[in-house]
Amino acid sequence: MSTISTALRNFKEPTKEQLTQIFFSLPSVGSLDGTEKTLDQHVEKMDINAVLSFGVQGVEDSYAGKLHIIAPYLAFTSLDKKSVRFTIPLSTIRRVERLNARAGIYALSLSTWHGMKIIVQLTSLRPTADQFCALLRDALKIELQRGQMKLVKGFVKTCYSEALVSETSTVADNEREDGSLISEEKENAAPRESTYHGGLGLRFKFPGDPKKLREASKIKLWATYLRAHGRNLTLLRYPQCTRLVQVGLPNRLRGEMWETLSGSMYLRFSNPGFYEDLLKKNEGRTSTSTEDIEKDLHRSLPEYAGYQSEEGISALRRVLQAYSFKNPELGYCQAMNILAAAILIYMSEEQAFWLLEVLCDRLLPGYYAPSMHGTLLDQRVFESLVQRCLPIIHDHFQVVDVQLSVASLPWFLSLFVYQQYANDICISDSRLLLLHGTQGVIPSRTRSVCSSIIYEPSPSFHSWPAILKINGEKLLQIQDDGGFLNLMRDYFASLGDSAHPNSTDPRARAITRFQELLLVSFREFSVITDDMILSERRRFRSEIINSIESFSKRSAIRNLKTLGRFTKEQAGLIYDALYMAMCILPPPGPVNPPPTLLTPHDGTEEKPETRIELSTFQYFLSEIATWARNEKIVMNGFQQRIDREIAEHEFIDRLFFFWDTSCRGALSFQDLVSGLDGVMFNDLMENIEWFFNLHDKNKDGFLTKDEVLTLSESFLFIFRYEVGDAYLGAVSRFMTNAFEYGDALLPTAEDADPNSERAHDGQGPEPTSPHFIESNQPYLNLATFRMVVLADEVLESFFETDLSGSFRLEPVPDAELPVSPSGLLGDLWSTIATDSNKKMFNMFTDEIGKTIGKHQVINRPSIGRYTKLEEPKARESLLTPSMRKSSSKASLTGSSTAASTATLAPSSSSTLTVDTKGQPAKDLPQLPSSESLSPMVQAVNARLMERTPFAIDDAKDDEDESDDEIDANDNDDRVMDEVDAFLEAHDSGLTDADKEVANDLLHAEPLK
Amino acid sequence: MSDSASGSVDKSVQVKLVLLGEAAVGKSSVVLRFVSNEFQANKEPTIGAAFLTQKCRLEDRVLRYEIWDTAGQERFHSLAPMYYRNAQAAVVVYDITKATSLEKAKSWVKELQRQANPNIVIALAGNKLDLVQPSALSTGAASSSESEDEADDATATPGETPGSSGEPESLRQVPREEAQAYATEAGLLFFETSAKTGEGIVDIFTEIAKKIPIEHILAATRGTARPGAAGSRADGARQEGGVNLEENAAKSKDACNC
Repeated sequence: MSTISTALRNFKEPTKEQLTQIFFSLPSVGSLDGTEKTLDQHVEKMDINAVLSFGVQGVEDSYAGKLHIIAPYLAFTSLDKKSVRFTIPLSTIRRVERLNARAGIYALSLSTWHGMKIIVQLTSLRPTADQFCALLRDALKIELQRGQMKLVKGFVKTCYSEALVSETSTVADNEREDGSLISEEKENAAPRESTYHGGLGLRFKFPGDPKKLREASKIKLWATYLRAHGRNLTLLRYPQCTRLVQVGLPNRLRGEMWETLSGSMYLRFSNPGFYEDLLKKNEGRTSTSTEDIEKDLHRSLPEYAGYQSEEGISALRRVLQAYSFKNPELGYCQAMNILAAAILIYMSEEQAFWLLEVLCDRLLPGYYAPSMHGTLLDQRVFESLVQRCLPIIHDHFQVVDVQLSVASLPWFLSLFVYQQYANDICISDSRLLLLHGTQGVIPSRTRSVCSSIIYEPSPSFHSWPAILKINGEKLLQIQDDGGFLNLMRDYFASLGDSAHPNSTDPRARAITRFQELLLVSFREFSVITDDMILSERRRFRSEIINSIESFSKRSAIRNLKTLGRFTKEQAGLIYDALYMAMCILPPPGPVNPPPTLLTPHDGTEEKPETRIELSTFQYFLSEIATWARNEKIVMNGFQQRIDREIAEHEFIDRLFFFWDTSCRGALSFQDLVSGLDGVMFNDLMENIEWFFNLHDKNKDGFLTKDEVLTLSESFLFIFRYEVGDAYLGAVSRFMTNAFEYGDALLPTAEDADPNSERAHDGQGPEPTSPHFIESNQPYLNLATFRMVVLADEVLESFFETDLSGSFRLEPVPDAELPVSPSGLLGDLWSTIATDSNKKMFNMFTDEIGKTIGKHQVINRPSIGRYTKLEEPKARESLLTPSMRKSSSKASLTGSSTAASTATLAPSSSSTLTVDTKGQPAKDLPQLPSSESLSPMVQAVNARLMERTPFAIDDAKDDEDESDDEIDANDNDDRVMDEVDAFLEAHDSGLTDADKEVANDLLHAEPLK
Repeated sequence: MSDSASGSVDKSVQVKLVLLGEAAVGKSSVVLRFVSNEFQANKEPTIGAAFLTQKCRLEDRVLRYEIWDTAGQERFHSLAPMYYRNAQAAVVVYDITKATSLEKAKSWVKELQRQANPNIVIALAGNKLDLVQPSALSTGAASSSESEDEADDATATPGETPGSSGEPESLRQVPREEAQAYATEAGLLFFETSAKTGEGIVDIFTEIAKKIPIEHILAATRGTARPGAAGSRADGARQEGGVNLEENAAKSKDACNC
């Protein structure tokens, strides 16, 4: 019982465009539904060099940077990517003017909804600037048509900053220039109070002592900034903004600032009503995620008053559920509850939902995924950063075998909003709640939730090295994981304490450990850039993926109910083949099993289990069974390769349903293992029975005539690429005999109406004419089938060894991981060496090969008993040398009577063994003696030439020719193989020139 | 004996113990009861893992349990090997009011037996015994579909007393005999416990202590004896909790001796 996920393989490095989008916190294109995707596919994008000046002279410096238009957003970043940046939706731009400035200067003045005016001077060449302006104009027009402009007003009202600014300022009007807009706003001033979104904190109080936190002065500072620099959608982030964030966000404003800075606001803005609709659509739906969520609802910040009330709990439930509905694959992971609970104190449900989306998707990529690969990856990255930045600590940890992640992982997962419970539960008051980001980690203690924003891709990477550094000396004393954990726990518990309690300077004493931590994070570890982290992630990704995959492989194998007769290694090979198949043909999403209704369980729920469908199964089987693939050996002058295709045949479908014992229309890993177990270890008799059962659809112990024909076709399918006509002859003999004995035995085997049976008694074998009325009536039983099979040496040997042997567990060539080659060359190579390019290269060489006459295509036989043509690996044959000789002779001399007599001789003894085993072969004591058969065989062979074509016929047509040519060389198997190869090649349409080449080969080979 | 080292830790033998089991079966509560003799109705889910220590006296030996309490949710599973490597003992916890949790426990046992330290002592603990005991205040409220922890919560809430005292047995989904039979078959120690009332908790750790091949551990640790000053700071940092530890050590000592 396990799920197998190939999601990790699908990882793609973000493109440069995506990185830009991430940088500006823009919602990823088409993230919500398909329709939007197609619309936005041709999003207009352009960037241009520009100098940004603030509309009000003297308030801010001018900054050079890049202006991006990524419809429907306009974004700017200064050259250092740090000082200044903004991302504003185009719909909030109210006016764009081309400034009449001095010659040679191309400047635009932009006015936003909030009346801010910014001036961008486009410093690129004039045509570029013109193009940019045109683009901007068009994009603005589109926004107007879409009606987005009208939405701004309503949306802005949901933001607290509006209330804040109007509350605290009576002089606001003076600072604005666009009178009309403001009067509009004023009208709505009264109800505004109640319209803005807020979190539970508004009702249940925010954690912490507002006085201690100096809320009032923070509010004042922020109000001033927001008034001048825009707010919510139109916020311009100047250096002062970063400083204010570091000082701390006032509680009431925090939710909105999180939203703005993380970019989740843009999601909320562009998807109005999405959250409510989502909840409504999925009302009452349950899943494993919702169950897990229920378990944790009461365990999320339980000390906070809001979560002791139904109001808080149900808000938390809705947000988490909505997230799991939107992202069913990720669903719900413990730690998200704590995060969401913390967020909900400051934000409304809708805001929290979108922030959670941004957090899980972008800021903590893969952290909460079922495999938690993001967490594991970042732990690895973190370790490597420590190795680089704090080598002494790293080395010490290596020596005492302490794993960093033991302590860091929980905090990475919960963004520090987590209280590791302690021995001394009495100090649980000192819950740490530090939502933080690279740009600012703000002190908090004793529920004084005070935190900053989350707007960098890697929130934990600065503070952790700082934590380690501050505790450096103690860490060097650590001897084991436990000591490390305890040290960390105690450190976190003491964050609110003074960093220098013994200092004489009262100001130094006032510095808390938290502030010290901040200082160290910013001062010393700001060298850790996002780029660095991204490249480290790239470096370790495949390592992490490999270890996760091998872990899930091991647990999948361990979770098998039975291994059958396989060893673990063999089961591993089956798993690999399955995994490979799933990578190439992924099964449809998690199967919610409706068939559970059919299979009543003893109170235990079915765990989600990965099952594959027919198409994936076909691929899987083609990896394992030689006859389930069409292999063409292609030789042109340049290369020799094997083109492999998945074969499709009813036989494979039949096998699929045969193995689907629980009738779900999909196979699990266990089904595959059991299925293979049912055939790979069989001896002769078991194989015959297996094959019989496979074709006995209704499991009544009888094949109908139709089924006999189907079975014959299965034979022909399996043998379709065999060289020589031995198999074909065998199949035709089989049909002859099957119908003959079937008819003969019918009355005793089954009391079917005798008249129809009589009617055909004398008619003789007519293998290709399913003309009986009772063609779907029980006809052939296992004993007869067995007898018929054993009458033929070729079929016997097929069932004895070849059938089981055609299932081969071979190591699957390593599926290509999302390799992350570093550097330009690697990138180049990965873009060149795509599959399609390889295909093109192959086609190209084929064409050349054809023109120079060196192109050959050979179908690789599935069994290959009668040829060793192009066999990549030596395969032991169970035939004795003498038998081998005779059988290869058989293939050479084909349908000649003498040969078949010789080869069929042993088969009579086989039937004898059947008899001794007590088979009820009363009617035919030693009937299938070779002598009596051979004329019949000849007859059938003659008939075969005329019958309706089977797949194998193409191969067949050349046999006569081959016989003639081969006679000369029949003493050397090797040479014969070459001939066969040649003939096969000839079969697929060789020119005379090809023939010549082949003939050369033929004569050249023995010399080697 | 690692004399100099264990001198400071008064000749205790360190035993690494790991707790495993499905989410919300009460792993952390079991540890909390054992370590601090406390019970919290709504404990935050463990993320990653938590680490605690507790001393336990057995006859003339002092065992120092280093307890790794792991996260229960399925997706944390892949992290588990990190915690159970080198563990000498494991407590696999399930919830007697939830049949699936026993299935999960069985798969943990299977994994431990195949992957972990071959001499590992495994105990199976069926937790939340208080929910099925008639003597409990009232457990009727727990029959709602709500999770077990809420059930705990509900028992503490005075307002809700719909069920009579005869009711509770129906909450039990895993018969004691069934689990016992499984434990015997798989060679596990078996207990039914209640972290809430404390019933059976200390017994788990006592029985594990008895079964652990202490000599073996001593022999193994002798090679990697700690340097003298080792962990002194860490111990110092732990002092606050250390007081608690002593008290509990005394308690568990009594239990151990009986």
